[in-house]
Amino acid sequence: MMIFDCAIIGAGPAGMSAAVLLAGTGLRVVVLDRGAGAGGQIFRAAANSPLTDAGVLGPDYTDGAGLIAEFERSGVTHMAGADVWHVGEDGTILFSHDGETRQLQAREILMCPGAMERPMPIPGWTLPGVMTAGAAQVMLKSDAVVAENAVFAGSGPLLYLIVAQYLRLGVPVAAVVDTTPHENYLSALPYGPSALRAWPMLRKGLGLLREIKTARVPMFKSATNLRVLGQGRASGLAFDSKGAQQIAAQHVFLHHGVVPQTNMTRAMGLDHIWNEAQQSWQVKTDDWGQSSTPHVSVAGDGAGIIGADAARSAGRLAAMNIAMRLGEVSVADRDRWARPDRAALGHLASFRGFVDRLYAPVPALSVPQEPDTLVCRCEEQSVQALRDGFDAGARDPNALKSLTRCGMGPCQGRQCGPIVSGLLAQWRREPIGDVGYFRLRSPQRLLSLEEFSRFQTITPEAGE
Amino acid sequence: MNADILIIGGGIQGCATAFHLARQGASVIVLEKDYVARHASGVNAGGVRLLGRDMAEVPLSKASMEMWQTLDETLGEDTGFRRKTLINIAADETDIETLKAREIRMRAAGYAHERIIDRDELRAALPHVHPSCVGGVTSELDGHAIPYKATSAFRRAAERHGAQVVEGAELTSLRQVGSTWIARTPTGTFEAARVVNCAGAWADRVAMMIGDHVPLSHAAPMLMITARLPHFAGPVVGAVSRQLSFKQFENGTVLIGGGAKGFADRDHNTTRLDYAKLAVASKTAIDFFPIMKTASINRMWAGLEAYMPDNLPVIGPAVNASDAYHAFGFSAHGFQMGPIVGQVMADLVLTGATPYDLNAFRIDRYDRKTL
Ligand SMILES: Cc1cc2nc3c(=O)[nH]c(=O)nc-3n(C[C@H](O)[C@@H](O)[C@H](O)COP(=O)(O)OP(=O)(O)OC[C@H]3O[C@@H](n4cnc5c(N)ncnc54)[C@H](O)[C@@H]3O)c2cc1C
Ligand SMILES: Cc1cc2nc3c(=O)[nH]c(=O)nc-3n(C[C@H](O)[C@H](O)[C@H](O)COP(=O)(O)OP(=O)(O)OC[C@H]3O[C@@H](n4cnc5c(N)ncnc54)[C@H](O)[C@@H]3O)c2cc1C
Repeated sequence: MMIFDCAIIGAGPAGMSAAVLLAGTGLRVVVLDRGAGAGGQIFRAAANSPLTDAGVLGPDYTDGAGLIAEFERSGVTHMAGADVWHVGEDGTILFSHDGETRQLQAREILMCPGAMERPMPIPGWTLPGVMTAGAAQVMLKSDAVVAENAVFAGSGPLLYLIVAQYLRLGVPVAAVVDTTPHENYLSALPYGPSALRAWPMLRKGLGLLREIKTARVPMFKSATNLRVLGQGRASGLAFDSKGAQQIAAQHVFLHHGVVPQTNMTRAMGLDHIWNEAQQSWQVKTDDWGQSSTPHVSVAGDGAGIIGADAARSAGRLAAMNIAMRLGEVSVADRDRWARPDRAALGHLASFRGFVDRLYAPVPALSVPQEPDTLVCRCEEQSVQALRDGFDAGARDPNALKSLTRCGMGPCQGRQCGPIVSGLLAQWRREPIGDVGYFRLRSPQRLLSLEEFSRFQTITPEAGE
Repeated sequence: MNADILIIGGGIQGCATAFHLARQGASVIVLEKDYVARHASGVNAGGVRLLGRDMAEVPLSKASMEMWQTLDETLGEDTGFRRKTLINIAADETDIETLKAREIRMRAAGYAHERIIDRDELRAALPHVHPSCVGGVTSELDGHAIPYKATSAFRRAAERHGAQVVEGAELTSLRQVGSTWIARTPTGTFEAARVVNCAGAWADRVAMMIGDHVPLSHAAPMLMITARLPHFAGPVVGAVSRQLSFKQFENGTVLIGGGAKGFADRDHNTTRLDYAKLAVASKTAIDFFPIMKTASINRMWAGLEAYMPDNLPVIGPAVNASDAYHAFGFSAHGFQMGPIVGQVMADLVLTGATPYDLNAFRIDRYDRKTL
């Protein structure tokens, strides 16, 4: 059994920054990430891009190589390809590595699992040919694979970034169908001045929109009533934007913002809260990232969407607190060290408030409206099937899951979980925070029975 | 709120009792601290098993088995019941000896629902079983149902007959004043002439409020379910002496049990899994059925279950109070018993009698033992 002072799950900006800081204090740190290399979502494959010129992905991306190099030099134990499927409250972590189930223990655990894209369950969203824009970006970053003449639909900075990355590579884009409602520009306006404090971020965003415009990609604004067309496979997208529109395309890429990955923090039984401004569930933490279980902290987008720059600061703050908890630094030193990162987070928070308001998710796109739209892809449950379950008395997300199997499939409810809470809130006429969420368990993903059957616990020994 | 009868616990025993009482015109309130089927009755393995029952349980279990065959029609709801052969595998000759000894006792008691099978018949029924297995025992009346569905089916049928089910209502105090039971919950007070304790893993606490003491314990049996596999097992599979138990559903998923227990924390409604034990259960499954090597585990969980020292339930009247009754402590095989327990409890409450011999299930059966 391997024993560490701190185990960090996730080698994105948050996890890497935390690891670098902790390594500096001399603590024994292990970082587990299922990826083949460090980087996380934003810096995916940044250290060894398959693209001939990774520069087209933007300076943010290539900057990642710097942090990755610092991380790899820091002396922490980095286990790449380590897929964590269980984190116990007692500090035991089970993960798959090279086809074996392995176990380690740590005094402190820092979870930096990052974000996932918010499901966008419009009619036809499960047809082959439909993907999330983020999944399209993963294919681009990891394998240099692209799809020509795709429609990008939805809203949010990441959508524009991915379109711009496509355009820089010279990949033709059929159209951008922007669902940001016109009213959002007005309601975000009051947040504009404070967002100016984070001018570089704002400039980056405006730059992306300009790039798309200059490339003369057809851009539809304030689009509503989106439907993927096609029988058996996507053939286009229909929507309303100054009248009924229809665009033929083999590929439809949807994106409606990102939400924290909460499956692991939920399976641990940590407290979670509903973030009204971001319309998403997130783990409850204090401002050091410490969760309702004191030796477990969560940082980065996995604890509430803050973006990659803020994730670095949040990772470091959590690490400082962990160093304090482990007796390496005093409370006073921790607080003093924290000042620059707290100031940086303050700046970024004003920008975040603006972005949250401008790109606030549209209820009609987060919660499906048509009775036959699928909610659960794994178990093929439609809105109507869930409504029938609700009418039969299943008012709680878990009761509805037991009755309809919605959420029982291999995705562990990642796709349908937020939708089910949203639907129940609508039907119960209660706030989503009161409705709650699926009760989750390990494993975090499908686990080979054969691999697991070879697992044996070893009594802890001192040292590695 | 007032009713003739107050039932504590919205598991299958409480809901089935409510159904049988309401059907006969009694006014019934069910108090459930969480929601109906939240605990053992909604998360169990769904095994509807008569095979291998303790002799004392056979009469009730047999009667229940007959009720399961037509339960969907009785309740007007889908319980997910499917009749399916159950086979307990004999791994070696010692297992066969065990089975033969049991057969003698079964025949003497007049029971004929279990049948020993040889190696060939075993392999014909389960072609993928490991060739070293020597035979087994089978019962053809057995089957499985969907726990949450079956329990809510009883609940809805009870409600159609006028029963009231109050969820989120935890009984915190219960006292008998004259001929009235007064029950307090954070959401209100309820009064009734009679009370039935169907509180599962918490039933010893309710028993204490009634005035009865009982050596009940609780534990967290664990289950795993795989992603879909090609069909390879028709019958439900158990083993005579190994911790093996699984069934393959119509959708191809395989539910693996075997009796391994995790950690139970009933005060917080939670369980923790013991992964080392689940790994052993995985190994056992693969040892008996090498084809399971290709399976992937999709979910693992545990439920809070009540156990008596002799693994037999408590069914019958209270001994230290009048107009109070118990049905709990089903020791990991009470789902199958739900339909008959409901009927027995309704008979007891309404008429004071039942045709079944409940002596083995008395709540005070441990009181009489000397130290
Ligand atoms: C699909 C997608 C694409 C994105 N692209 C960009 C972009 O190009 N530019 C941008 O500014 N922002 C992007 N974002 C937003 C992004 O989340 C950043 O804000 C930033 O990466 C957050 O950093 P983080 O450290 O919190 O998490 P992440 O960078 O997401 O890192 C989390 C890491 O945890 C690992 N992990 C999670 N669970 C486990 C587990 N159970 N076992 C092992 N490892 C695990 C993941 O493999 C991942 O490497 C993207 C988000 C998504 C969902
Ligand atoms: C993992 C697992 C697998 C199993 N597999 C099988 C199987 O295959 N076949 C089989 O026959 N049996 C099986 N069982 C056993 C079976 O599930 C139980 O014996 C049966 O469900 C017990 O029903 P019950 O109504 O007594 O208890 P429960 O379902 O536990 O119901 C009791 C209810 O009482 C409520 N309650 C408790 N205290 C209070 C209070 N103070 N106020 C209000 N409400 C209260 C609880 O919240 C609970 O909902 C299994 C059990 C488990 C856990």
